[in-house]
Amino acid sequence: MRRLRAYLPLLLLLCLGLQAFGQDLASFEKRVTVKKLANGLTIVLCRRTESPTFSFFTIVDAGSAQDPKGETGIAHMMEHMAFKGTYDIGTTNYPAEKIALAKVETAYATYRNERLKVIGRDEAKVAAAKKAWEEARTAADKYAVKNAYGKIVEEEGGVGMNASTSYDSTQYFYSMPINRFQLWAYLESDRMMHPVMREFYKERDVVTEERRMRVDSSPMGRALEQFTSVAFDSNPYHRPTVGYPGDLRYFSATQALQFFDKYYVPSNMVIAVVGDLDPATALPIMEKYFGRIPGKPKPDEYSTPELPQNSEREVLLKEPMQPIYIEGYHRPDYLDPDDAVYTVIADLMSDGRTSRLYRSLVEKKKIAAYAAGFSGFPGSKYANMFAFYGVPLPGHTDQEIADAIHEEIDKVKTQDVSDAELKMIKTRERASLIRSLDSNAGLAQNLAVMELRYGNWQELFNQLNAIDKVTKADIRRVANKVFVSTNRTVGYIENSNAATKGAK
Amino acid sequence: MKNRRTAVLLSLALLIGSAPMMWSQAAKKPEAKAPARVTTGAIPSSWQKVPIPPLPAWKPEQPTRFVLKNGMVIYLMEDHELPLVSGVAYIRGGATAEPANKVGMMSIYSQVWRTGGTKDMTGDQMDEFLEARAAKIETDAGNESTSIGFDCLKGDFNDVFKMFVDLMQNPDFRQDKIDLAKSYMNTAISRRNDSSGQIVSREAGFLAYGKNNPYVREMEYSTVAAVTRQDLVNWHKDHVFPNDIMLGISGDFDTKQMEAKLEEAFGGWAKGPEITQPEVEFHPAKPGIYVVNKADVNQSEIRMVELGIKRSNPDWFAVQVFNEVFGGGFSSRLFNDLRTKQGLAYSVGGGIGSSMDHPGITQLGIGTKSESTIPAIKGLWAEIGDLKTNPPTEAELKRAKDTILNGFIFNYNTPDKVLREKMTLERYGYPADFLEKFQSHVEKVTTADLERVALKYLHKDQLAVLVVGKAADWEKQLAELGPVTNLDITIPVPGEGAKAEAAPKASNPEGKALMAKFVQFLGGEANVQAVKAMHEVSKQTVETPQGQMTVNVDETIVLPDKMMAKIGTPMGEMTRVVTPDVAYMAMGGQSRDLPASMKEQALEQIARHYVSIAQHVNDSSLEFVANGTAKVGDKDAAVVDVYLNGKKVTWYLDPTTGALLREQQNVVGQTGPAEVTTDLSDWKTVNGVNFAMKGVTMQNGKQAASTETQTVEVNPQVDPKVFTKPQ
Repeated sequence: MRRLRAYLPLLLLLCLGLQAFGQDLASFEKRVTVKKLANGLTIVLCRRTESPTFSFFTIVDAGSAQDPKGETGIAHMMEHMAFKGTYDIGTTNYPAEKIALAKVETAYATYRNERLKVIGRDEAKVAAAKKAWEEARTAADKYAVKNAYGKIVEEEGGVGMNASTSYDSTQYFYSMPINRFQLWAYLESDRMMHPVMREFYKERDVVTEERRMRVDSSPMGRALEQFTSVAFDSNPYHRPTVGYPGDLRYFSATQALQFFDKYYVPSNMVIAVVGDLDPATALPIMEKYFGRIPGKPKPDEYSTPELPQNSEREVLLKEPMQPIYIEGYHRPDYLDPDDAVYTVIADLMSDGRTSRLYRSLVEKKKIAAYAAGFSGFPGSKYANMFAFYGVPLPGHTDQEIADAIHEEIDKVKTQDVSDAELKMIKTRERASLIRSLDSNAGLAQNLAVMELRYGNWQELFNQLNAIDKVTKADIRRVANKVFVSTNRTVGYIENSNAATKGAK
Repeated sequence: MKNRRTAVLLSLALLIGSAPMMWSQAAKKPEAKAPARVTTGAIPSSWQKVPIPPLPAWKPEQPTRFVLKNGMVIYLMEDHELPLVSGVAYIRGGATAEPANKVGMMSIYSQVWRTGGTKDMTGDQMDEFLEARAAKIETDAGNESTSIGFDCLKGDFNDVFKMFVDLMQNPDFRQDKIDLAKSYMNTAISRRNDSSGQIVSREAGFLAYGKNNPYVREMEYSTVAAVTRQDLVNWHKDHVFPNDIMLGISGDFDTKQMEAKLEEAFGGWAKGPEITQPEVEFHPAKPGIYVVNKADVNQSEIRMVELGIKRSNPDWFAVQVFNEVFGGGFSSRLFNDLRTKQGLAYSVGGGIGSSMDHPGITQLGIGTKSESTIPAIKGLWAEIGDLKTNPPTEAELKRAKDTILNGFIFNYNTPDKVLREKMTLERYGYPADFLEKFQSHVEKVTTADLERVALKYLHKDQLAVLVVGKAADWEKQLAELGPVTNLDITIPVPGEGAKAEAAPKASNPEGKALMAKFVQFLGGEANVQAVKAMHEVSKQTVETPQGQMTVNVDETIVLPDKMMAKIGTPMGEMTRVVTPDVAYMAMGGQSRDLPASMKEQALEQIARHYVSIAQHVNDSSLEFVANGTAKVGDKDAAVVDVYLNGKKVTWYLDPTTGALLREQQNVVGQTGPAEVTTDLSDWKTVNGVNFAMKGVTMQNGKQAASTETQTVEVNPQVDPKVFTKPQ
């Protein structure tokens, strides 16, 4: 373990903080192996022999922030397509299906061109092209074996199978009995190298239903979409992860595959596996299966920086729901040297019944059912927001919540936190780390994310060090820098039915 | 996961997943494989050729069980991986036993048990003690039991456990935390119709079990208001006895030492009565179509429900396999046909429901765009019909069993899961080896069993179909499927509901007579009618979260509909003017229009002034309904409901003198209801008319404001210019 030397100060620190834990951490570190394959893929393996099972977490460093213009939602679409099978899985005859799918793309391109014509659009031509496209889809569907990939995982004892897409990344995960480890390596590497865009347009409808559920038919979803689009200007958090409805009717399987080819490359992924795995036998298996994915350089990492904000922004939404207040302040990305200070401020404001916002808004002023502040909205890879929100009690208004939150923010700006508070926060952060180590799935997620974001899974523990160094002066300095009105976007969600009572 | 930094890095705020909300686990058929292309010699040519060695024989650690002399059942499970200890005690008796007129009582109990602290320590002090140690003690209430749990670092165990025992035995249920809990619950009530998802799951529960069934009934403002501290104290006194408690502890400890500690902590605690669970009735709704209109959505949430089975039913194992085939995960018929093939939904699923000790809810559900509401309903029906014409095949059976059995190890792969399962089985009276026998029961299930349970427990014609969505988009076509019942989900507001519905009630003679008496008390008709304007100077004291605030108010009312008030505030004088034409407030040379709702409120206030009402006792727009008597202080007051433009104010009059003792109104704030009463006293005669010099206003039983009037002037000189807006 070449990194061991660098861990020593950290170990000392933890031993001082939590005597009993030092030993366990040392043994924990011995159980982790990191291996970078020749094609650029990083594997983190952690041995945990509690039961004959394992969990994995594959993280791809591409999220909706990478959606090209006009193709919002395509990263999320790709996540759905990762369950549609491969050359081997989900087809009755791949060579024939491949030809049929290519015809679908040609027909779709024709149909889309006709449909998008601004001048001289001919409805008859649109209808004919649409029909040709639908027929091509029907022809291709004949070869598809529905949901074969997911079925195999489930039948082979996989549990907790799912995936998710955020602004910053896309991740895939489930757990399996240990005797299926090699089968898993086959399945996971297969979908990361042989994706097939079968039933793409049907799945696009499913995703559109997902958008209806999360955004269009949810007052809170609509509100958050509006809020982020106002709060962010030039950076990718301006756009919705699930995609704009127009783009969801526009993009093609060809475009999704282009996205895949660019971003689903080994150098852009980390896979963590945790369970009853001996690195001596498990690593060669992973190397055999994942090593066959062709290597490519990590894609260009440029992303338009957020424009500096110079005046307060406001969103006022009338929705058929009870009021909620939100506000956000721009902060730099997660690699900012003050990152740990934001963590401490979030804990101070929000964690537990002793937190500043709970004590003030809920217990003392009795105006809110809940209030909190947190960092990393709606992502953290790029410059993001430290956000606050409050849920007013019946008879109280968003404005009262805003005023009370500002009062608490002012206290943080003008008065030092107490020694007891700072100590409590640091203890709590340590304990929360320990508690996050108690399951294969949780550990796999932690290790994969840290390895991807810092190039070093040890950052999971190093961050405690950074938190321990946070001083009272740091907290005031950062609060004064960030929590200013010209750096703020406020969102008032007010009840459009306020005159009548209750929603109908 | 639990690590916040990782969670932040994953930006949980907008995580969106690809698997739907799957309601149960479930499998279909991969067909013959085409030969796959091989990239390297060492990689198998297809997934079926990947070797799967046998799973090593493995038996999880079992907890130690023992019973104290006083009947407390204890499970201990050592787990030395992390330096943590956690535990939970379940106590028999829960929300199914709370009185129907106090629904929400157990929810309040579950919060205040912890937040209200112990005899020796307030809840806030406990918070500080625990959070400084990153430890937790929390309480909860379920349907059949309540629970109290702890979680701490090993080194803090002795301190935290001591507090855990103290809270279990000596809680104090302090009133301020009861009020806090009630305000949460009122918030929850006011917000329960905000999202389709919440509406559909609640209403589906009502249809399956009956609206008053204890497993699904909803708390209301009135049932929450009815709960008292004594209720909580009594519940605790009547239920928390060692022989009704099962305690489980897991983590980094030594079993022998722990046994001794528990014996010491609980050994001397005397037994109490055996708690029995109440008999619960189930009244499923009539089959048919039920609708909740939600105009702001473009997606319909559809549920079909009927009564399910108990887990003790011998068919339960076959039902688990059936649910895999029919409605669970990626392999199920519902997912394959309605999501993958037809693209109708993101979220779809269903199955025959079961619960440990009562029938579960059999439920099919789908969320689909408004336009495909009818095809989605027909699609679910067709899947039920298809079970008869196209019963589950051997291949489906095998895949479902594989799914259940190959993943079975995940039911007991952590010490905590083993412990919880053992405790759950014992709490509900199931044999301890239920889990061990599960596998052989599942293996025995046949396709005939699947067909049989489908016929026996899933009936197209007995399902209540619920649609929540934008009715305008589909109500016509829906009516073609059968008779439709519209569900009213209006949130009842106390005092308004029943009585307001009868609002057009006409005046009764007793009401009229009492009002005549009041006019007499006020100074007689002639004097009362002579009042055109009133000018009052008063001192008002308002309760605010920061404490009391006193302001001087100089108010002029010109009847019937103009008012101007000058309010002295710490920041300077504020002027507020309301007439039918203008409504504004001004301060420091700047003015701002009042929102329409505030203007309306102010105009209503003028119309409700007792002088104004006395002037209109004979108007047809007002109704006066005598409504018995009630105590105000120690006086028996005559009650008159005064309806003004359909809105009600209740007056309490002194039956002998005719004096107005109290006004009472139910107002609905932006989100919730409040009962506002004002007690009037110290009447003083000015120009032959009586004015109350003292008023005390209570909101929901708590003092909110008081007014002391210093001077009253009748028909003062008023410059009409004061009612125009300054430019």
